[in-house]
Amino acid sequence: MSKFDVINSYAPRIDCPDKATGKAIFTDDLSKPGMLYGAMLQSPHAHAKILSIDTSKAKALEGVKAVITSKETGSVKYGVSPARYDETMFATDKVRYVGDEIAAVAATSLEIALNAVALIQVEYEVLPAVLTVEDAMKEGAPQLHEAFTNNLCAEVHQEFGNVEEGFKQCDIIKTTTMKNKRQDGAFIEMQACIAEYDRRGTLTLTTSTQVPHYVQRTVAMVLGMDVGKVRVIKPYVGAGFGIKAAANHQELACCFLARMLKKPVKMNYTREQVFMYGRARHQFSHTITTGAKKDGTLVALKHECYLDGGAYTSFGIATVYYTGSLLAGPYKLPNMSYDGYRVYNNKPACGAQRGHGAVIARAVFEQQMDMIAEEIGMDPLELRIKNMMNTGDTTCNDLNMSSFGMSECIEAVRDGSGWDKKKGNMPKGKGIGMACGFFVSGAGFPIYRSDTFHGTVIVKLTEDGGTALVYTASAEIGQGSDTAFAMIVGEALGIPLENVRLASGDTDMGVDLGAYSSRQTLMTGHAAKEAGEHAKQQVLEVLAEQLDTPLEDMDIKNGCIEFKNQTPDFSALRTRYIKEHRGWTDNPESEKLTFKEASRIAFLEKGSIVGTGKYRPHWLGGKFKGAAVGTSPAYGCSAQVAEVTVDMETGQITIDNIVDAHDCGKAINRNSVEGQMQGSISMGIGETMHEEVIFNDKGQVLNSDLAEYKIVTAMDMPPVKAIVVESDEPNGPYGAKEVGEGAIMPTIPAILNAVYDATGVRMNELPLTPERVYTAIQAYKERSNA
Amino acid sequence: MLLPKFEFYEPTSIQEAIDLKKKYRGKAKLMAGGTDLLVHLKKKLVTADHLISLAKIKELSQVQQAGDTLKIGTCVTMSQLSKSAVIQEKFGAIKTASDNLGTHLIRNRATLGGNVCNASPAGEALPSLIVYQAQVRLQGPEGKRKIPVESFFKGPGKTDIHEGEILVGFQLPLPEKNYGAHYLQLGKRKSSEINVVNVAAFVEINPADQTVKTARIALGSVAATPIRSFHAEDVLTNKAPGEAVFYEAGEAARHKDCQPIDDFRGTAAYRRAMIGVLTKRTLETACKLAMAQ
Amino acid sequence: MKKIVTLTINKEHYEVAVEPNRTLADLLRYDLGLTGTKKGCDTGDCGACTVVLDGDVVNSCLVLALQADNTTIETIEGLSNEDGLHPLQEAFVEKGAIQCGFCTPGMIMSAKNLLDKNGNPSDTEIREGLSGNLCRCTGYTKIFEAVSSQCSDNQGGSNE
Ligand SMILES: Cc1cc2nc3c(=O)[nH]c(=O)nc-3n(C[C@H](O)[C@H](O)[C@H](O)COP(=O)(O)OP(=O)(O)OC[C@H]3O[C@@H](n4cnc5c(N)ncnc54)[C@H](O)[C@@H]3O)c2cc1C
Ligand code: FES
Ligand code: FES
Repeated sequence: MSKFDVINSYAPRIDCPDKATGKAIFTDDLSKPGMLYGAMLQSPHAHAKILSIDTSKAKALEGVKAVITSKETGSVKYGVSPARYDETMFATDKVRYVGDEIAAVAATSLEIALNAVALIQVEYEVLPAVLTVEDAMKEGAPQLHEAFTNNLCAEVHQEFGNVEEGFKQCDIIKTTTMKNKRQDGAFIEMQACIAEYDRRGTLTLTTSTQVPHYVQRTVAMVLGMDVGKVRVIKPYVGAGFGIKAAANHQELACCFLARMLKKPVKMNYTREQVFMYGRARHQFSHTITTGAKKDGTLVALKHECYLDGGAYTSFGIATVYYTGSLLAGPYKLPNMSYDGYRVYNNKPACGAQRGHGAVIARAVFEQQMDMIAEEIGMDPLELRIKNMMNTGDTTCNDLNMSSFGMSECIEAVRDGSGWDKKKGNMPKGKGIGMACGFFVSGAGFPIYRSDTFHGTVIVKLTEDGGTALVYTASAEIGQGSDTAFAMIVGEALGIPLENVRLASGDTDMGVDLGAYSSRQTLMTGHAAKEAGEHAKQQVLEVLAEQLDTPLEDMDIKNGCIEFKNQTPDFSALRTRYIKEHRGWTDNPESEKLTFKEASRIAFLEKGSIVGTGKYRPHWLGGKFKGAAVGTSPAYGCSAQVAEVTVDMETGQITIDNIVDAHDCGKAINRNSVEGQMQGSISMGIGETMHEEVIFNDKGQVLNSDLAEYKIVTAMDMPPVKAIVVESDEPNGPYGAKEVGEGAIMPTIPAILNAVYDATGVRMNELPLTPERVYTAIQAYKERSNA
Repeated sequence: MLLPKFEFYEPTSIQEAIDLKKKYRGKAKLMAGGTDLLVHLKKKLVTADHLISLAKIKELSQVQQAGDTLKIGTCVTMSQLSKSAVIQEKFGAIKTASDNLGTHLIRNRATLGGNVCNASPAGEALPSLIVYQAQVRLQGPEGKRKIPVESFFKGPGKTDIHEGEILVGFQLPLPEKNYGAHYLQLGKRKSSEINVVNVAAFVEINPADQTVKTARIALGSVAATPIRSFHAEDVLTNKAPGEAVFYEAGEAARHKDCQPIDDFRGTAAYRRAMIGVLTKRTLETACKLAMAQ
Repeated sequence: MKKIVTLTINKEHYEVAVEPNRTLADLLRYDLGLTGTKKGCDTGDCGACTVVLDGDVVNSCLVLALQADNTTIETIEGLSNEDGLHPLQEAFVEKGAIQCGFCTPGMIMSAKNLLDKNGNPSDTEIREGLSGNLCRCTGYTKIFEAVSSQCSDNQGGSNE
């Protein structure tokens, strides 16, 4: 039995009745009176100088209200990290990828807007383009940004301990080179937005975003407005996975047009534009060398990585750091070095996607763990247990594991999968593999340097008593955060979930950095808990006075007031409450004084009862350059076992099942925890098996639709056993921490290790399309015959 | 995504459709289920000022058995085919192909005629139609004609249809006894796939000596059109079916009959190799079915 | 040129003038305000726009509004009524089959049509019956659970 009344249960989500009935409103479901439609002109060239832009024909088209280019909008630079603002709303002098934005139109219909876009005449001088990391780094390669020579967007060089010395102590040293392919978020809702500007100078942007707060700041900065004059509202969002975690050009153009025309403007990406915008997982090329002793003790790791960044930085600076820093766990590893390079080229920018920066590095390293285990004749699972960090340990790069149920996760998947019986005994063509992973539970620092709170929450009790209203600027994008915060407030106040109502995703409601880095449950959760407790405190203060009972002797639980000692005579309060509600039929009769009565009385004494909460992590991490990236108040961790069948003749892989165990601290809502685990696995499977954005030699995306960009369908998803492992995270609200991203970490390597088990072949390139697997099997056969 | 502007017609007879097509010569497109055409129009790959839907012409949506032939109307959908008793019983390779096309949603609209007229080298139903020796029935201002489906395809998206003509349906001889057929496709995931390769095989066994009397094998996605694999067929003819023969037939298909190209869905080398495997496997099943009769 | 289309949607009778190039999805969403039907691609790939047309599920982004003349259409809005959610919708909520909810209306329409035609689908039939509805959030697992809880074999007893 849980010691909690509301959280730590399996609760149906509060947003789901509306979502199940089609009532939930997403951005494109909205329309505003007098609304105009916007469309953008995007570059057809991967790299070109813009010699001239002629918008006169477009402007002349009937129904066109405005055509804007950088001439109208100016060229304020923006981006994600202030250290690398390298984008503008519209290209000024040159375009750097197919899709780079050049102009936007607002018109009375979408059809007219699109026709007008086609009438904008741009004279280009086509420049040679570089489309790969290798080409971009060649001497004399065309340069994308003047300020960044050799197309080097960012580089990182770090060493912790002494890697060379470490290798000298090693008996086994394994080097692996591996790369993945660019990903797409492939959320089902394409980005859409509506901007309105009122006559008092307030701009309201309703948009499909994960981060209303950052969008608000970017819009204000680029349009030169006070932050207080910009309001960003996030309706329901059809998921984001990191791609919607920054302002996009469409949002900026839409705001500019609305302010200019004083009319609502709506804009939508098509699916093709979603692909052109990119911003999903980078293509990483890793070379990792790991050294261990004969007994399996890990000693040193040397890591080099090149990131195919695309035309702009986006999240790239954080990405290139994350790629290195998150290899320091979950195993004890005293020596680690990292050299990371993020390289510009003429493709859409890459950004952050579930498991930011760390997923492929993890996939390489977890395979090396298996290689080492094989070489020393140890069960790969035992090797992992042997090297596992313990609760309270700190990595060589100063990441502290304040709670760490990793060993419990491993034991859970060992049992859940029947590992001990199966490993080493799989029939031909079948294999079993495992892997571990961990991830931050919220970035330790905001994206811009600031002492800001990371989240604030307001809880207001309704004046009639009984209902708690929660206001948070956090972003429900499908993960279930609204329900989690409503549950946390219910728990903190001592009232059932059905008496909590919640509104979120509006910058007017406070500050919240939004849905990225798996931060909301822990961070916004803290603020929600504090706000609930603050409201409770105020109600109890009034009761203490009215009932002449010490506050410490009272509590609220399950919607009733609990008295530690003797229940005082509260009949006077009850009579007063009933008089207030003359004519109402639901007069309280319970033996206990209800929260409803108490909060009504509190209102009568003090006016509106408003509780506030806030959260900011304590200072985290070391002192070296880049020490901030990877820090977090807590880390979630997980282990997975995958079983596969490989068709040795065609290279087709079938994933037979996956067993997953995840330590999410205390689960707020088990329903959502399992959902995040299953969803992460499906994304991990897609990335392992068939997802890749493919470009032609002109830099155009060849598979910019969901037919050719292949995410997992209902037919591909294997049975998944999701085991929730709980620890008590001291830095989390009620002991809670992340599950949204850590759960994807082991998926890719678990499958890769299983494929090796089935075939004897190590794959060094993702995704594992039948052709790649077939080719690798053939090469292996030839090698074995030779 | 918007569709371009067009006028829309829903004739209820073949003649009416032919007349409309003639009237808007060159500027009209025929539409069956629209699952190819509407996508192509949205993506601006094709244009049309006039769309003529064939969906309201009742006779085009029927599957009819008449004596020893089967007639399939051009507008019969994949779902309809999959549920048709005669298709299930006698044309297993068409049933499998129709179950494999697109998704459960697309199959409710996508038609056999549309799949054939779209003439994608990877088209789902095409190899099966070829091995069952289907004839396409065409009708135009100049009258009717019938040609083997095998010679109907002229290249990716190109067919032998004349300006003004309409594909009205297919005619297939009912296979007699001692036969079996099978269809296999290979893609990257398990549903909604654009084929990397696809293969259909039809085998008739000589009951006297249990050798292969006739074999027809058709390969998809390895040439500009779906093609017959004559060398593989020759390997089988008059031989007793067995693993070694199937393998040899696969190798013949792989090395002698297919002419694949590299594209972003797969390299020519892989396609070739897979033609070998899939040919072998379709033959295995087709022969097993034939011997079981 | 606009033409008049007469159709029945969720048992209500509608008469609307539409352009020939209007899709059924856009008619529902933008002309009739039935925004429960979603669009995730507009090219038949995602299934978010799934509606039931004369008893069969279709991608409404690949059907012309004019083709819906004289047809009967069911959308997600027609499933729940004043008495509450449809049991299948209830199951989606209870089993946690919904995350972002963008695929949900289409997914539920496919699942309902599947169950209407086959009260007791096997696990494979459930997967096939949902194969045209992409969900990026849930990994489908809880969706399968929700649908299978509504199979006639699993009704009346415990669903666990
Ligand atoms: C999501 C999705 C998945 C798909 N998956 C597959 C797949 O797995 N395998 C596959 O093969 N295809 C697939 N397709 C393509 C398509 O569904 C099929 O080719 C389908 O069979 C086309 O039939 P239709 O009735 O929709 O054709 P339409 O789109 O109506 O027509 C196709 C073409 O044929 C012409 N045409 C149609 N009927 C006639 C006629 N009677 N006479 C002359 N010309 C005519 C049209 O003008 C048009 O050019 C898929 C499509 C989508 C959108
Ligand atoms: S919107 Fe119709 S299938 Fe995606
Ligand atoms: S719940 Fe988000 S796509 Fe299915």
